[in-house]
Amino acid sequence: MIIPRKPLARRALLRGMGTLLSLPLLEAMIPSANAAEAAARARKRLQVIYMPNGMDMDNFFPKELGENYVMPLTLKPLEPYRQRFAVISGLDHAQAEALGDGAGDHGRCCGSYLTGVHVKKTEGADLKSGVSLDQLVAKQFGEQTQIPSLELGLDPPSLVGSCDSGYSCAYTNTLSWADASTPLPVTTNPRDVFERLFGDSDSLDPKGRMAQMRRQASILDFVAEDAKRMSGKLGADDRRKLDEYMSSVRDIEKRIQKAEAGGSGAVALPAFAHPAGIPDTFEEHAKVMMDLQVLAMQADLTRVGTFMVGREVSGRSYPEIEVPDAHHPLSHHGNDPEKLAKLTKINTLHVAQVAYFLKRISETSDGDAKLIDSTLVLAGAALADPNRHEHRNLPTIVAGGMVKGGTHIRAEKGTPMTNAMLSMMEALGVREDKLGDSTGRYGAFLA
Amino acid sequence: MNFKQHKHRKLGREAAFAASVCGLAIAAFGGTAILGHAAADPAPARPITAKIVPATLPMGADATPADRKAMLTRFCAGCHNDKLKVAGWSVTPLDPTNLNANDATWEKILRRLSLGEMPPKGMPRPPKANIDDFTHWLAASLDANGVANPNPGHATLRRMNRAEYANAVRDLLAIDVDFSNELPVDDTGYGFDNIADVLTVSPTLMDRYINVAGKISRLATGQGSRNPTTVDYRIPKDLFANGFGVPSYNERASDDLPLDSRGGGAFKFYAPFDATYTIQVFLNSNTSTENEISADNRYEVKVPLKAGLRTIGASFRKNLALDARLVEPTTDGDRPGKPEGDPVPLPLDVSVDGARVNTLQVPSFSTGPNVAQAFYLRDVMQISVVGPYDVRGAGNTPSRRRIFVCHPSGNLSENACAEKILANLAHHAYRRPVSKADIAPLMKIYHVGRKGADFEHGIAAALQAVLVSPNFLFMVEGDPAGSKPGSVHRLSDLELATRLSFFLWSSIPDDQLLSVAEHGQLHDPKVLRAQVERMLVDPKSKALTDNFGGQWLYLRRLEYQKPDRRAFPDFDVRLRQAMLTETNMFFDSIVHNNSSILDFLDADYTFVNQRLAEHYGISGVRGTAFRKVKLDPSLHRGGLLGQASILTVTSYNNRTSVVLRGKWILENILAAAPPPPPPNVPQLNDAKNGKTMTIREQMEMHRANPVCASCHTKMDPLGFSLENFDAVGAWRNAYAGQLVDASAVLPDGTKFAGPQGLQDILLARKQQFVEAFTEKLMTYALGRGLEAYDMPAVRAVRYAAEKDGYRINDVIMGIVTSVPFDMRRTPEK
Repeated sequence: MIIPRKPLARRALLRGMGTLLSLPLLEAMIPSANAAEAAARARKRLQVIYMPNGMDMDNFFPKELGENYVMPLTLKPLEPYRQRFAVISGLDHAQAEALGDGAGDHGRCCGSYLTGVHVKKTEGADLKSGVSLDQLVAKQFGEQTQIPSLELGLDPPSLVGSCDSGYSCAYTNTLSWADASTPLPVTTNPRDVFERLFGDSDSLDPKGRMAQMRRQASILDFVAEDAKRMSGKLGADDRRKLDEYMSSVRDIEKRIQKAEAGGSGAVALPAFAHPAGIPDTFEEHAKVMMDLQVLAMQADLTRVGTFMVGREVSGRSYPEIEVPDAHHPLSHHGNDPEKLAKLTKINTLHVAQVAYFLKRISETSDGDAKLIDSTLVLAGAALADPNRHEHRNLPTIVAGGMVKGGTHIRAEKGTPMTNAMLSMMEALGVREDKLGDSTGRYGAFLA
Repeated sequence: MNFKQHKHRKLGREAAFAASVCGLAIAAFGGTAILGHAAADPAPARPITAKIVPATLPMGADATPADRKAMLTRFCAGCHNDKLKVAGWSVTPLDPTNLNANDATWEKILRRLSLGEMPPKGMPRPPKANIDDFTHWLAASLDANGVANPNPGHATLRRMNRAEYANAVRDLLAIDVDFSNELPVDDTGYGFDNIADVLTVSPTLMDRYINVAGKISRLATGQGSRNPTTVDYRIPKDLFANGFGVPSYNERASDDLPLDSRGGGAFKFYAPFDATYTIQVFLNSNTSTENEISADNRYEVKVPLKAGLRTIGASFRKNLALDARLVEPTTDGDRPGKPEGDPVPLPLDVSVDGARVNTLQVPSFSTGPNVAQAFYLRDVMQISVVGPYDVRGAGNTPSRRRIFVCHPSGNLSENACAEKILANLAHHAYRRPVSKADIAPLMKIYHVGRKGADFEHGIAAALQAVLVSPNFLFMVEGDPAGSKPGSVHRLSDLELATRLSFFLWSSIPDDQLLSVAEHGQLHDPKVLRAQVERMLVDPKSKALTDNFGGQWLYLRRLEYQKPDRRAFPDFDVRLRQAMLTETNMFFDSIVHNNSSILDFLDADYTFVNQRLAEHYGISGVRGTAFRKVKLDPSLHRGGLLGQASILTVTSYNNRTSVVLRGKWILENILAAAPPPPPPNVPQLNDAKNGKTMTIREQMEMHRANPVCASCHTKMDPLGFSLENFDAVGAWRNAYAGQLVDASAVLPDGTKFAGPQGLQDILLARKQQFVEAFTEKLMTYALGRGLEAYDMPAVRAVRYAAEKDGYRINDVIMGIVTSVPFDMRRTPEK
């Protein structure tokens, strides 16, 4: 039997000694190799991938239920990972329906996608949604990582004002809500993501990053010393003010300590160039953003991510796959076969990004396993047939280590999407009793 | 008045309380419960004792302290007694021979009496001569008390806010890049974002400080990454009213662009190295349905740039605007036909520091794959600079010259030079002489950075540390050795220099100010005045406009104001910018010319460009450049209340608001802010019996409710007089099918009408305005809310400024030499 040694937190040492000075990395602070593996085994991760403007439904759901389904056209890119994902039909977001609020299905469906809340129709500052699935998970997982969650996207936030008939752009610019009134907007520029993860240095080889952290640590030592000297000269009230500063310094020390104590600092990461900006093509952009998301998980900088392949009502065109038309107008296809064919092409391209993510996490090591084994992936759209703005029977895929793959299952008619989300959280070890309009749990897709 | 919020609220409610609560209580004593009607009904409440008021009471020197007290007891104690304590105070403990014991209450009494609001309508009042005499005595006595018992209040350790941080970095390192957006937005208190008690430090902020300091120090020393990155500049644009498409502008967009240019934009780009950079220009696709920036519409050119601050521009030419074959927009479907024939090539100029460096030919309509139509002129949506490529060196930038005051050489070791550089930087950053104890820890960081790299990397590392040091981030003040807690003393010259430069420049002192302070001369009144005057004409005093003016006048809101484009098709980004420029230039000019602050109320000049002149109906102004114009009084544009910026930020997006405008005037011009509205206020209905009501009809319904009326009788008349200005500040004679009625009646019965009438009313209360302005400016200068004990200082500023017609320098000098600004209380340890 292996008894893992409990690493001694560097912070505890600091407290005990009543000083702010950073300490040399004592051997006791480095987790033993076995403990690291055990910790890696205990890690779980959540990734949501969102596809905008609904789907051509004829090509999304398999005609058959069960394991022997024929892979539909749109899902073809996922074929190599067939055993790692399940297709779920029958899940609804009833709260995204008008319910007396009139037009604006795009705004509503995006706002309710991870919250299950009927969002307030407003263009102003009085936004109202609910805390989202990813943020509930991040509240728990974020304790262990440097960054609680990443919100990434490919379409820049819309320029101004209303994005869909009376709904603020905040509802279509993100899936993530820290609370009912705090949307967490997506980052679209890979450079910004990179700097958030790794600081603004050029390199992310472990040596370089550790050097950067040491430099930071030395600066923190310096300012802590400075603050201490200053503190002696201050009155009681001002000392309290300075305490805020000192405790912030300690907070960052703690993060560096997390990094040192076997987290990101220890993992050898692949070479990754500091991105210059947003790449030209959709696929290049998607790829670099997915890579950064995987990198963040691999380095255990975060365990929760949402990724918007597109913004709801996105008018992006896809000349590279012979779809020069804008996506949103196209999604109102009026059952025109030509338009439907083009829409399917866009949908397939989007699903291919999900496949790329699955590919990356299947290849990436995580302790003695692969990232995919510890990751739960939810990929889908918040509209079914976009032509009719359908909010029921939403196109949904779940994948990863916690999922019983290789099958197409159908939830009982009228099952809220949030019921499935509650079960996803449970599989991740996050116990919640209610999410938005949930009425119970639906976990038939879990292994 | 600007007391702490809770007090402030109580104060504002006083009138309502006295009229309704006290009236109510008295009514209840009398055995008749007349609920809630006290405020509406002029005389519902019987006084407890009906005494006969003599023709005059003892006045002036004849009035003994006992007479003063007797007057209070007779006319105020009906409500302000120990039992009722209306508005939180009672007459009982007040002692006219010891004002200091209850200075906050006495200040309240003074304010309400001066405003003529107390005793309330329906209650017995002493003769006016007695009230005037009493207020005169009270003000003089409170002022004397302020002199006898100077109380500078508590100055909390204050950190720089993000605007100050950015300015301080600019001045410390000669690097003119606005880093404020790299830091989170600061919270505000008392209407300003530099309030010490509110400026906290969070881990997120600390994280940003460390990162931003790293970026700045590398950029300034020329040690940044040599990997190419992209810097984007999105040109501010509107969408069309229907929400789709981006209009272009048929005028010169910026002073940084060539004279004959049309559209486009320019921005400041800091080139980190002498190197080659790619300038990318993203155009609109001139279709009706796209707002997006796409590579289909990107044009680019490679240019060599010298390291340092560059102005990068892209624009078209005026004489090559329209393609005659462009077709009108259609509304049937989103894919109308393309224009016939080949696109005409248009020259697109790329400029660096105002000079054309390259001209690209772009087709006059988009040939993007999803092009639908060519409705619009081509225009620039975004400019990006990608680089550096082929780096030739760190260059000779102003910041490298500022930082590297020496270079290691045969005679000068690296260590000695590093010490010299760091001592110089720390001296300016910490705003005080530095000692070995300051430099030694910095040298430690220098060595960490030096190890494995070179001398300049070591300096960059130590500079990063300077920029996150509490000595830089906080305005640290001390007390003389051995001073007793609670005792009051003057600031040191160095502390005064820092307060002064953060007040007037939102930044650190420059060499001259620091040197004067270090020589112990700053407290010399002549030297101090000379420094203040010098600082006010320095371009850095623009910070006073941006940070004080922008917040005092709510100008910062203008950016977020989104007037309804259907109701106000004339409003767009260009007009918004022009509005802001006008008020900023107006404020600047008052500061630079040492004008009277009464110009804020009735200047006979303003600053306009063609766009704004047309908005105002001023003829003869051509072009996008702003100029000073003399105002014809018939246009009603004199002073702040004729400026579109103010009229817009005090409106809703779809209509004017007499309440917002009235409240703005009470708060910012008269320092008599009304309390926030009670909860559960119903929305105004804009129709009655199916007929659209005018705002006046709507408001009159509203004011029929006595709870609302207590404040709205003060706010609404002020707002009504401005009803000829619509929600974007354009003049109108009619609204909702009726002629605008801009007449109004003040609570005291004074009738007036229109902007001119309002101006007369405000000028008649100029002392109140001067005090209001002083209170605001003093709050900003001190970084704390004002208290009752600050009011003698506020009045002293007014008295001193009166002689020369309230010139702004006198107001500022008054604040700078006031007890709260120039003194400090030794805190409890």
